Amino acid sequence: MSSIRLALFALVLFPAGVSAADAVDYRKDVKPVLQERCYACHGSLAQKSKLRVDSGANLLKAGVIVPGKPGESELVLRVSSENEAYRMPPEGHALKPEQIAKIKTWIEQGAKVPADDAQEPDPRDHWSFRTPVRPKVPEIANHKSQIPNPIDAFIVAKWNEKGLEPVKFADKRVLMRRVYLDLIGLPPTPEQMEAFLKDDAPDAYEKVVDGLLASPQYGERWGRHFLDIWRYSDWWGLGAELRNSQRHIWHWRDWVIESFNADLGYDEMIRQMLAADELYPTDSKKLRATGYLARPYFLFNRTTWLDEVVEHTGKGFLGLTFNCAKCHDHKYDPIKQIDYYSFRAIFEPYQLRTDLLPGEPDVMKGGIPRAFDCNLDAKTPFHIRGDERNPDKDREVLPGLPKFLAADGLKISPVKLPVEAYQPLRRAEIAAMYLKSAETKLAIAKAALKKAETAVAERSEFHAWKVLPARATHTAAVKELEQLKAAIADPTKAPVAFRGAVKSAESNVETAESKARPFPDTSTGRRSALAKWIASKDNPLTPRVAVNHVWLRHFGKPLVPNVFEFGRRGTGPSHPELLDWLAVELMEPTANPARKGGGWSFKHLHKLIVTSNVYRLSSSSANAEASLKLDSENKYLWRMNSMRMDANVIRDSLLHLASDLDLTLGGAPVPMAQQDASRRRALYFFHSHNEHNKLLDIFDNANVLECYRRTESIVPQQALALWNSKLAMTMAGKINDRLHAKLKDADDTNFVTAAFEMILGTSPTKDELAVCLESLAELRDALKNVKEPDRTKRARLQVVQALINHNDFVTVR
Amino acid sequence: MFQSRFIFCILLCVLCIFVAILSSLFSWCPMNRRSFLADSFRGFSGLALAAMLHRDGYSAEGKWAPPDGKPHFTPKAKSVIWLFMNGGVSHMETFDPKPALTKFAGKTIKEGPVPDAQDPEKLALARVTVINDANGQQRNKLYPLQVGFKKYGKSGIEVSDWLPHTGSCIDDIAVIRSMFTTDDNHGAQTQFHTGRHMLDGEYPTLGAWVHYGLGTLNENLPQFISMGNREYWNLKDGHYLGPAHDAVPIRVDPANPLDYGKPELPVSAEEQKLGFALSGKLNKLREKDYPGDSALDARIKSYELAFRMQKSLPELLDFSKETEETKKLYGIDRNETKAFGMQLLASRRLVERGVRFIQIQHGAGGAGVWDAHGGLKANHSKNCLAVDEPIGGLLKDLKRTGLLKETIVVFCTEFGRTPGSQGTDGRDHHIYGFSVWMAGGGLKGGIVHGSTDEIGFHATENRHYVTDVHATILHQLGLDSRKLEIPGRKRLDVDHGTAIKEIIA
Repeated sequence: MSSIRLALFALVLFPAGVSAADAVDYRKDVKPVLQERCYACHGSLAQKSKLRVDSGANLLKAGVIVPGKPGESELVLRVSSENEAYRMPPEGHALKPEQIAKIKTWIEQGAKVPADDAQEPDPRDHWSFRTPVRPKVPEIANHKSQIPNPIDAFIVAKWNEKGLEPVKFADKRVLMRRVYLDLIGLPPTPEQMEAFLKDDAPDAYEKVVDGLLASPQYGERWGRHFLDIWRYSDWWGLGAELRNSQRHIWHWRDWVIESFNADLGYDEMIRQMLAADELYPTDSKKLRATGYLARPYFLFNRTTWLDEVVEHTGKGFLGLTFNCAKCHDHKYDPIKQIDYYSFRAIFEPYQLRTDLLPGEPDVMKGGIPRAFDCNLDAKTPFHIRGDERNPDKDREVLPGLPKFLAADGLKISPVKLPVEAYQPLRRAEIAAMYLKSAETKLAIAKAALKKAETAVAERSEFHAWKVLPARATHTAAVKELEQLKAAIADPTKAPVAFRGAVKSAESNVETAESKARPFPDTSTGRRSALAKWIASKDNPLTPRVAVNHVWLRHFGKPLVPNVFEFGRRGTGPSHPELLDWLAVELMEPTANPARKGGGWSFKHLHKLIVTSNVYRLSSSSANAEASLKLDSENKYLWRMNSMRMDANVIRDSLLHLASDLDLTLGGAPVPMAQQDASRRRALYFFHSHNEHNKLLDIFDNANVLECYRRTESIVPQQALALWNSKLAMTMAGKINDRLHAKLKDADDTNFVTAAFEMILGTSPTKDELAVCLESLAELRDALKNVKEPDRTKRARLQVVQALINHNDFVTVR
Repeated sequence: MFQSRFIFCILLCVLCIFVAILSSLFSWCPMNRRSFLADSFRGFSGLALAAMLHRDGYSAEGKWAPPDGKPHFTPKAKSVIWLFMNGGVSHMETFDPKPALTKFAGKTIKEGPVPDAQDPEKLALARVTVINDANGQQRNKLYPLQVGFKKYGKSGIEVSDWLPHTGSCIDDIAVIRSMFTTDDNHGAQTQFHTGRHMLDGEYPTLGAWVHYGLGTLNENLPQFISMGNREYWNLKDGHYLGPAHDAVPIRVDPANPLDYGKPELPVSAEEQKLGFALSGKLNKLREKDYPGDSALDARIKSYELAFRMQKSLPELLDFSKETEETKKLYGIDRNETKAFGMQLLASRRLVERGVRFIQIQHGAGGAGVWDAHGGLKANHSKNCLAVDEPIGGLLKDLKRTGLLKETIVVFCTEFGRTPGSQGTDGRDHHIYGFSVWMAGGGLKGGIVHGSTDEIGFHATENRHYVTDVHATILHQLGLDSRKLEIPGRKRLDVDHGTAIKEIIA
C-alpha cells in the first residue's frame, strides 16, 4: 500500500525531468500498444491474474510499474523477457523493441498520464448493446418548412449543430429518376416522367412512391439487396458434383421477392428463414424460407459449413463478429470463445433435405431444399484454438447466447412435429405422385414385355432368351409398385427412395447408418428460440442493423459505417438519435399507423425515408463551399450522395430503356449459356461462386461468399463493356429506333433533347446540346458515303452510345 | 579564382552525370513519372481502396494512407513473370533427382532409406479439404524415376532430360528444393497465390499486392495481366484490396486480345472514335454541375485508359516485327510449344513496356494438366515439352536484352508428387516437399537452395512455405509487405513469409 502511495506521490511531484522533445506521450506511444496487445486479457473484458492495465491508475494500483524505475517495473520485465513462459503477451509476436523502449522511457520520465485518463468503459454499456428507446424528435426553429417528417428534424438538428447549410432540392427529373432506380431498380419511361412533371397536385410525388412500392419490381429490387446480405447463391461444385449450396435454392429467392412484395414483417422473415420447419412444419411455401440455411451447405466439411452459418447469422442480423471468437475470446466484445461454440450448437442438429414437389419425382429436376433437425443429440465440439483437429474432450457445449446480450439465456422447448412433416409420404399428393410414376413405369415395362414376347413367339424357341431383359424390367417395376404400396400403407417403414424427401449428404459425417435413419418426429426448438430472440423487440441490435442496411441503400452511405460491425471495434453512428428513432419506428410504427399486422414493415420505412426532404436534396455541391469545407465527406447529409448503379440496375436499365425487358417474376434461374440472349431481369441469372455472368461481374456483381455491400469500382473494363459489348450495342440500336419511331422527322436538337431525357433523365444544357450538335455534324461527315435517312440515324446512334457511356447513366444523381 | 570556378564546374558536371546515371539506372521509377502517378491508373485504383476503407469507418484510426506507389527501399527488380503449372509438377522428375527411388523401386517406404517418412506426426501439417477423396492419399510403394538427369552449366546442377532448354539456363536459375504447403488437394493452387488455405476464405494474390504497392510505368496498359485459363482456382486477385487490383485477362490474339476489347457489332473506327470523344466531352461538361466529384473524374480517366488499352494491346500482341530467330527461340515455330511460346514472347513485350506482374497459368482445366495420377511418364514428358523451349527462350531473350536484371521469372506449381506410385504408373499429390525456381531480378543463378530427404518425401533443410517465395519477390521489388497492411485486415506472420536471403545476390 505504501509503495503505491509513494509511486503516486512520485507521479504527481516529478512530472517533468526531460525536455518536451524527448518526452514520451502516454496517449500516443504507450496506451495504443497496451490497448492492442494487453487490454483483451487485462482490461474491461477480462482481468486475468486480477490485473488491469487499461489506465495509469490501474497500472500503479497493480504495482506493475514503478515510476522512474523501468528496471523494477514488472511490465517492462514481462514484455522484454526472452523466457517464453514469462513473456507477455503470451500469444503472437513479442512487442517491438521500439515499443518497449517507449514504455521504458515513459516510466523513466515518471509515467505521466493525462488528467482525464480513464479505464476502458464496461462493454455492456456500448451504445449498440443497449435497447433503443425512441428519442424525442428535436424542436427545430429554422428550416421549419423543410421538416415533413421526423427524419428531417434529426438531420436539421445536426446541420444546426455543425453550422451546415443544405443545398437546394434536386430537380424534379433528377428526383424522379432517383426514386425509380432506388425503389424498383429501373428508370422511369419518358411517359412516366412526363406524367409526373405535369402533375401539380401536392401529393404527386407521394403517389409515385406508393405506386412504386406497390409494383412487383419493388420486391425484386429490395429482395435482391437482402439476398446480397444473406449470400444467395445457386449451387456449385466440381463438374456435376454439388459441393456448395443446393439445387433449386431459387425457391428461397422467390420467397424473398414475394415476402418483400407482400411487406411481410422483417421479424417474421427472420423467424421463417431460421425456423419455418419448426414454426410451420407443413407449410411448403414458408419452408422455402429455410433456403437461408441451405445456402452454407458444404459437402466436405461440417465445421466449415457451420462456421459460415455462425459468422453470417451474426453479421447479417446482429452486426456482431462472432467469427472473431472462434479461436480465442473476442478481443473487443464480451463474446467468449465458448459463446462461439454455444451459438454453433443452436444449429448443430440441423441438416438439409429436398422435399419433392407433387408432379416431379426426380429430385434433380425439382423440389424445395429446406432445413430440418436431423440429429437431435448431436454434440458440438469445442475446438482448442479453433483447430478442428484438436477438440477439447472434457468440455460440454450447450446451445446458448452470450450472456451480455441474453441474460436469461435461450428459452428452448422441443417441437413435436405433425406426422406429414417427418413422413411426407403421408401427404396424399406425394403418394399419388409416386404411384403415378410407378404405374407409368410399369405400363411401359408391360408394353415392352408384350412386344418382346410377340417378337419371340414368331421365331424359334432358340430366341426365347431375348425376352429376358424386358421381363426383368417388368418384374422390377411390379416389385417397385408393390413396395410403394406397402410404404404408403405404412409410411413408418418407407424405404429411403419413397420418403417424399431426399436428404443431402451430412457433409463429411454422413455414414450408411445416417443415410437410412428416418426423419425425427421432433425438432429441438433451438432455432425457433434463436429466431424469436433475434426478432424480438428487446433485441438491441436487430432493428438497428436492419435500418442501417436500408438507409445505406437509399442514401449510398450508412449511418453506422461498417454495416456488419456494431460491436466495439466498429465506428459509431453519425446520427445516433436518428438511428434509434428509426429502429423503434420500424418495430412500432407511429408516423403511419395504417399498416396492418403490426410493425417491422420495410415499406413503411422506405416511404418515410423517400418522402423526407433530405432524400430530395440535390447531390451537387456546387455553390456550397462553406458546407463543403466543414463536412467535405457529407457525413451530415447537407446534400444527397451520388451512387453508382449496381450491376443489375445497369443491365436491366439498358434493356428497359430499349423496351426489351421481360418482367416475368420468379422461377428457375436462367442458365449461363442463355444469359446473353435472355431478356429476364438480371437477378434471375444463375449466379454461383463458379458461374457468374461476365458483364455483370465487371460492374461488381454480388460476391456470393460475402456481400454486405456492393463494391463501386471504376475500372477501364467497364468502359469497354459499355462501348463494345453486343448487349450494350444492341440496346443502343433499339433505343435509337424507339426515339426515331417516336420523334418521326425531328431535328437534331429535338432528338438530342429526347435522348438525354430518356437515357439520363435530364434535359441537356445549352453547352451539352452544342457539343452534341457539333459531333453530329462530324459524324455525318464521316458517314459521307451513307445515304439519308440512314446517315442521320447512324450518326445519332453514336450520340445514344455516348449517353449510355455517360457517367450519369451509370450514376444515380 | 578562375581555376576554382573551373573545378567547381567540373565537379558540377560530374555530379550531373552521376545523377543522370543514377536516374537512368532507375529509369522505371523516375521523379517525372511521379506526377503522372497521381492522376493515372493508380490514381483511381489506390484511391478506390482508400474510399472503400473509409466508407467502412476505418479511416477514423487516422494513421492509414494508401501506398504512394513508391518502393519502400531500393528495388532490384521492376517486373515479375509468374509461370504457374496447374496440377502439380513432380519434383523428382524435374529439379530434384532421387536415384534412391529407382534403387528401392517396388519396396514400401518402410523398407526404403527413409522408413519413418510417414509417421503420423510428420504428416500433421496437412489440412484436408476433401475428406476421403480418392486422391491426395499417401502412396507407400516407391516408384522409380521416369526420366534421366544431366548436369548443366558451370554450376553442374542436375536437371531432368525432359527440360534441356531450362537446363541450358541453369546458371541463371536459383532452384528451391524445399517447398511445402498444407492443402493436399488442388485448393493448393489458390494457396500458392495467396498464402492461405482455401478453408480460410479468400485473400489477395501476390500479383494484387504488387499491383497495389507499386505505381504504374505505362499509362497505356494495365499493370497486372494474366494469360491462360483460370478454371479451377478463383478468378479474382484483388479480394479485399478491391477489383481494381484484379489481373486483366488477355489472350495472345491481336484480333481479340481482351473481353470487350473491340466492338462486338460492326461499327467503323471513325464513328466509334467520334462517339467516344463525345462521351468524354459530355462527361467533362458535367464537372461544372458536380464540382469535386471524384467518381466523375475517375470515370473520365477510366474511359481514356480503356481507349488507349483498346489501341495498344493489338499492337503489343502483333509479333510481325519480331525476327524469325526470336520466334524460333520461343518455340513459336512448332505446334507443341507454340501456345506457351506466344504467351512468353508476349510477356517479354509486356515487361519491356513496364507491366509489373504477368501471371501465366499453364494447363488449366479440370484440376490441371500436370495432375498425373496415372501415366506420369507420358503426361510429364508432354507437358515439359510444351513449356521447356519457351522458358529457355524467355530466359535467353531477357538476358540478351538486359531485361533479366530487372525481371524476376518464377516457375512454380501447387505441390509436388508422391515418391510412391498411385496405380501402376502415376504419382499422387504431395505437399511435404517440392521444388520451384526463380531467376533474374537480382537473384543468384546456378544455385540449389534447400533439400528433401533421400526419397523426396519431406523438405528437410531450409524448409519454405509458399509465402517465403512471395516475400522474396516483394523484397526484390523493394516492397515491405508489412507496410502494405490494410486496417481491419490483420495479416499473420505466416502471411508475410520471410525472404529467402540465401538466393538473393
